[in-house]
Amino acid sequence: MEEHYQHLYELLSQVDGYIYPNEIEMNWGLMIVLYPYITGLVAGAFILASLERVFNVKVLKPTYELALLTALSFLFVATLPLVSHLTQPLSAYRILITPNPTSAMAIFGFVYLWYLMVVLLLEIWFDYRRDFVIWSKSSIGFKKFFYKIITLGINDTDEKSAKRDDKLGYFITLIGIPSAFLLHGYVGFIFGSIKANPWWSTVLMPVIFLFSAMVSGIALVMVIYMIVSWVRKVKIDMPCLDTIAKYLFYILIVDFALESLDQIHRFYEAEESFDIIKVLVNGKLNITLLVFQVVIGTIIPLSVLGLFQVYKPSEIIRKISYFMTGLMVLFGIFFMRWNVVLGGQLFSKSFSGFTNYKINIFGMEGTLMAAIWMILPCLILAFLLWLMPPWKKTPFPS
Amino acid sequence: MAKLIFRLLLSFIVFVGIFLVIQDYLTPESFGKYGHYRANAIEDNKLDIPQFKGEEKCASCHEDIYDLKSETVSIDDDEYILHSNLRCETCHTPKIDANTECKVKPPKLESTRKMCAQCHFLNAARKNKIKMIDLTDHNEDKNCIECHNPHKPWIE
Amino acid sequence: MDRINKNRRKFFQTSVALVGGTIFYSLIKPFEAIAKETTIEKNVDKPLWGMGVDIEKCIGCGKCTAACKTENKVPEVPFYFRTWVEQYTVKNDGTVKIESPNGGIDGLVQSVPDEDIFKSFMVPKLCNHCSNAPCVQACPVGATFVSPDGVVLVDETYCIGCRYCIQACPYGARYIDPIKKVVDKCTFCYHRINEGLQPACVEVCPTDARIFGDLRDKKSKLVKFLQKNQTQVLKPHLNTHSKVFYNGLSSEVK
Repeated sequence: MEEHYQHLYELLSQVDGYIYPNEIEMNWGLMIVLYPYITGLVAGAFILASLERVFNVKVLKPTYELALLTALSFLFVATLPLVSHLTQPLSAYRILITPNPTSAMAIFGFVYLWYLMVVLLLEIWFDYRRDFVIWSKSSIGFKKFFYKIITLGINDTDEKSAKRDDKLGYFITLIGIPSAFLLHGYVGFIFGSIKANPWWSTVLMPVIFLFSAMVSGIALVMVIYMIVSWVRKVKIDMPCLDTIAKYLFYILIVDFALESLDQIHRFYEAEESFDIIKVLVNGKLNITLLVFQVVIGTIIPLSVLGLFQVYKPSEIIRKISYFMTGLMVLFGIFFMRWNVVLGGQLFSKSFSGFTNYKINIFGMEGTLMAAIWMILPCLILAFLLWLMPPWKKTPFPS
Repeated sequence: MAKLIFRLLLSFIVFVGIFLVIQDYLTPESFGKYGHYRANAIEDNKLDIPQFKGEEKCASCHEDIYDLKSETVSIDDDEYILHSNLRCETCHTPKIDANTECKVKPPKLESTRKMCAQCHFLNAARKNKIKMIDLTDHNEDKNCIECHNPHKPWIE
Repeated sequence: MDRINKNRRKFFQTSVALVGGTIFYSLIKPFEAIAKETTIEKNVDKPLWGMGVDIEKCIGCGKCTAACKTENKVPEVPFYFRTWVEQYTVKNDGTVKIESPNGGIDGLVQSVPDEDIFKSFMVPKLCNHCSNAPCVQACPVGATFVSPDGVVLVDETYCIGCRYCIQACPYGARYIDPIKKVVDKCTFCYHRINEGLQPACVEVCPTDARIFGDLRDKKSKLVKFLQKNQTQVLKPHLNTHSKVFYNGLSSEVK
């Protein structure tokens, strides 16, 4: 407790202007930055997978399963930062037991469960079911046991059943696209519906969150695809990579346009809160917004990817550039979440001053914890790739 | 195909069913009686025991001081309320845990200049609201109560 | 053998009936309110609590802040307040200085020299007990609510500490209690007003700058105050239907 007060006294000495006395403690920290970030990666990866499936972009086939498994691994972790930031984490179940119908946050549990149980798990199951049956015959030990259980006793491997799986999988993907939109547009609404906070309260927030989610998810799958290929020492499918980069480019343009529109609108209308937001953007958010999010996360990737649309250098340069731009986009979107979540709390609701945010290394809201929540899905993904490698799937004879 | 869909739908329904049972079981008593909250929480919020007892309580023992405090002064047809409208506990903040008698730990005050300054020090926002005193040059070496009785602060 | 089967069948029948009944009940439960529509109390016989704040009377002594902390066992450190007092000073150059060191608990001290001051005034702040409360709308579990007598309360046994309500409150009236680890806020001293006492801040105010009462009682001091004065609420554009009314509220107040 003393330590906590000490921390707050330090923040109190750094207050700039006037803030309400209860606002010294910043209530949503790094964990709430991670929550929309991870959820966005899920939605984005899923949408990349559905490009192949629903919109029939066959060239993306090498990343289809990889994108689904990435989405699944990150979805498993998505709620954990949220729960760990609660002061009563053991009571988190109440969100499902008595969800308040008027609360934007209450519905998250249901959207999450729907997306996990009905969309992602089912789609992956339909995609892998036939392989599970085949693999269960050829493997031993834990793998055999897992494959046996997961087939749920449906052991058909003939062409008819494969066609059926394909048809149902397609149907699930059709449900999945609006669900992915719902999942992340909804996360944007959690912020966008707070009328007390002018930095958050914009009708564009869900749309911006959705497009930035797609950007980050696509970049993530692109990076993971390259890493996995290097680890497996197989050749990267260049047409596939080029196509991913092309989509990344297009969606990044939309995302950038939307975010610019939001800011231009805010600046042009210059409402009551404008004065404080101007100071915020030029001051406390200067580096994270203008340098990290806009320059590193958007302008540079846009120029590189844009250039490659008209001029294609050699494969090796493209590979390195894609890898670097992918990482830069991921970095930029992380700071986009950072600027939204923390930026919205840095200024007082009295619009007359600023508090400060000091990041900790240890503790429930610290960087160490954040690193765990980011590494954990990667480990889950590695495990899933070992358990159900997309490259060992028996090709569908058609 | 029909079999598969049936199995999936069935497991979905079973899942939802189990969820609804758990939900019903875990919803607290009295939840939703008046609205989306635990109605008993209204009673829970009444449970605290008041610390500030109100001046009737004080007057029941200290009637003399209460009467003195309640006096007002008229000068040239203007009535000055002085401290007559202050409640006892404005200055005598209870020191006790409310469950015990105030005699155990009486809310005695150590009068200081700082305490009087809290209301009476110069401040542009107090103009025309209260008698302001510049405590930096008003008998700066004396405690206020040496001249002013806080229960009857006017010096005639 | 036959008996065992019979018993078993009976057991299954009972279980199915029980489980089915519960599920059915859970399914129709959300629609309970529709069926009960006619019996819902309209609360007309109950009071509707509100507060008036007279800025023209407040001297910024901070007695209310101190009394509130004592009465409600709010931690003494300067980060948690159910009520506090702000001093606004409009300078001759048009800039506004707002101060509230430690919530004004030791009495506010003017930091601007007299010759620079255009005008100066004190503004006590507290939870506005909105009828259309954004915090209540935002709470994901229903741990905060507007009580039938119009007070926004917290169910501290049910709060999960997500702090969404703190984000949703435009007035900065909420905080996480560092000891109870749940959200806390002004309750109009709910335990006092139900015993016929005044809230602690009203009780100790030396200049009667705070007026507490029943908005439905036409003879109450609060209703008289509202009739006599041109009152205003804080941040009216947010449409929160606040029940804390200010007399003499200047446009500088945020």
